Amino acid sequence: MARRHLIIGGGTAGMNAIRTIREEEAERSTITLVSAEKPYSRMVLPYYLDRSIAESHVYTATARVLADWGVTTHVGKRAAALDTQKNLCTLDDGATVEYDDCLIATGSSAVRAPVPGAEGPGVHSFWTLDQARGVLAAIQPGCHVVMVGAGFIAFTILNSILALGAKLTIVEVAPRILPRMIDDAGARLVQTWLEDHGVAVRTGAKLVRIDEAKGRRRLKMAAGGDLAADVVIMATGIRTNLGWLKDSAIKVNQGIVVDDHLRSSVPNVYAAGDIAEGRDMISGTNAVHAIEPTAQEHGRVVGANMAGKNVRYRGSLIINIVEVCHLDVASFGAWDDAKAETMSGVKADRPAYRKLLWRGDRLTGAIILGPSSDIWTTNDVGMLKGLVQSGVALGRWKAHLKKNPFDIKPAFIAMKATSSLLPETILGRPSKAPGESPVAV
Amino acid sequence: MRILKIHPEKCTGCLRCELACSYVQTGQYQPAKSVIRVSPFEGHTSYAPYTCTQCAEGWCMTACPVGAITISAVGAKDVLDDRCVGCKLCTIACPYGTMFYDPSTRKAFKCNLCGGTPACADACPTAAITYEEAETADWLGDFARERTARVLAEAR
Repeated sequence: MARRHLIIGGGTAGMNAIRTIREEEAERSTITLVSAEKPYSRMVLPYYLDRSIAESHVYTATARVLADWGVTTHVGKRAAALDTQKNLCTLDDGATVEYDDCLIATGSSAVRAPVPGAEGPGVHSFWTLDQARGVLAAIQPGCHVVMVGAGFIAFTILNSILALGAKLTIVEVAPRILPRMIDDAGARLVQTWLEDHGVAVRTGAKLVRIDEAKGRRRLKMAAGGDLAADVVIMATGIRTNLGWLKDSAIKVNQGIVVDDHLRSSVPNVYAAGDIAEGRDMISGTNAVHAIEPTAQEHGRVVGANMAGKNVRYRGSLIINIVEVCHLDVASFGAWDDAKAETMSGVKADRPAYRKLLWRGDRLTGAIILGPSSDIWTTNDVGMLKGLVQSGVALGRWKAHLKKNPFDIKPAFIAMKATSSLLPETILGRPSKAPGESPVAV
Repeated sequence: MRILKIHPEKCTGCLRCELACSYVQTGQYQPAKSVIRVSPFEGHTSYAPYTCTQCAEGWCMTACPVGAITISAVGAKDVLDDRCVGCKLCTIACPYGTMFYDPSTRKAFKCNLCGGTPACADACPTAAITYEEAETADWLGDFARERTARVLAEAR
């Protein structure tokens, strides 16, 4: 009988696993997909929100593509329980699916601040496609949008909200914006940049409750005056979708604990993406990296291993980039490592900031801010990632970069980072092209 | 596969490759939009062009959330403009710093070997850039290591 793979979750990790199984397997297996939503890319929802792409563009696989891949689908259904003794998954409609091996890639969900009125009308999350539709329908030109939370997810849609002609106020309970992406100095620069571009920012601002007042929202703040809003977006964090596994035998910490092959404590059950707690490339310890590139790499590694290959994963690297009003903001690796040696620099003539973090003569993390029209910002983003990823020993270049933190390229080239990086592949072979995309072009 | 082989010791720093690249890629003589970039070494006494190696992993391609980077008929990793949304994940995923982003079009762009007739190689008057059957390699490392001694001496 053909081997039976069960993929739970149709996001980035799940879809990459399915594609990789079909690329790698020696004998045709059966694949079953259980997905609460039609497969789409969360990364591109901001571009759907600003109407630069149609809804059809967000999908990563249509029903026809899934049929071409030979996938049996349970779309619109959620996994409700996993019996790892019987190798049986029960869905929320009572149906059951038997498997030989299984991938849990159920991702995470948006969480709202626990205040009265947070679930009321006019208050939105921006995480799923359905929620994106809700925000798009709510924002009218000239309306006032209040964004509660100033993390990465909030920042991915700032440009879109402004492009729709709304006025924007950001309130953040922490003392600074982007508290889990950049440091104090970077956050100050970004906040000034936003204010110069007409965005109001209130940090250290605690929301008490949200009331309705004449069809608008009134945000009661602990201090500094209340706010009136037409639309409230709660970007106050995400939580892994682990609840349905509470009666299973799978070991869970912050996420599902996985080994270097992305197997959970139950060997024929894998986990990938936001829900997996796997190796961090820099620290070597386990962590949840709820970012798109980790979901993609996890998914491919799991797909290859499910197809019978033996692919060891080197660990994931935290990388984040967001552009706000033509300012690029990026961070990598252990950018907040308090024990690292740090060096930083700013440019007087433009909004540009660098911070480099070191262990010995190896770069372990970086923060980079700069105008997106500045080619060196984009190129250095890549080369800094390459230096962190390859862990190339930079020797005397460290002293040079201390004086000249913007002079990345000569160090990258002269220390032969390219030689270190060229042999590296995730699956131990050249990647294949993504193939036919479901996007209507 | 034919690739761009760089012979840095032959480069004179004339920048014709950047002009030719930008013209073929964008229709404008605008080196700011070139995807091959000449770097100076040792106080502008020597130069070398740097561009995408068409690496085996294709970090840009595998990172793209909408399948907008594919492998062209000549084997180059190539951005499909009508699918690219401009999310920049490829620019941060590429560890070589050879992805580019155009704020005016909101698209990523990169070396696509000009569909098999690379303009940089055609334009180079000293054959410092050749298009030939070869394994891709770190063409600049040894050259740059020899020509950065002065800058490193100053760093002490």
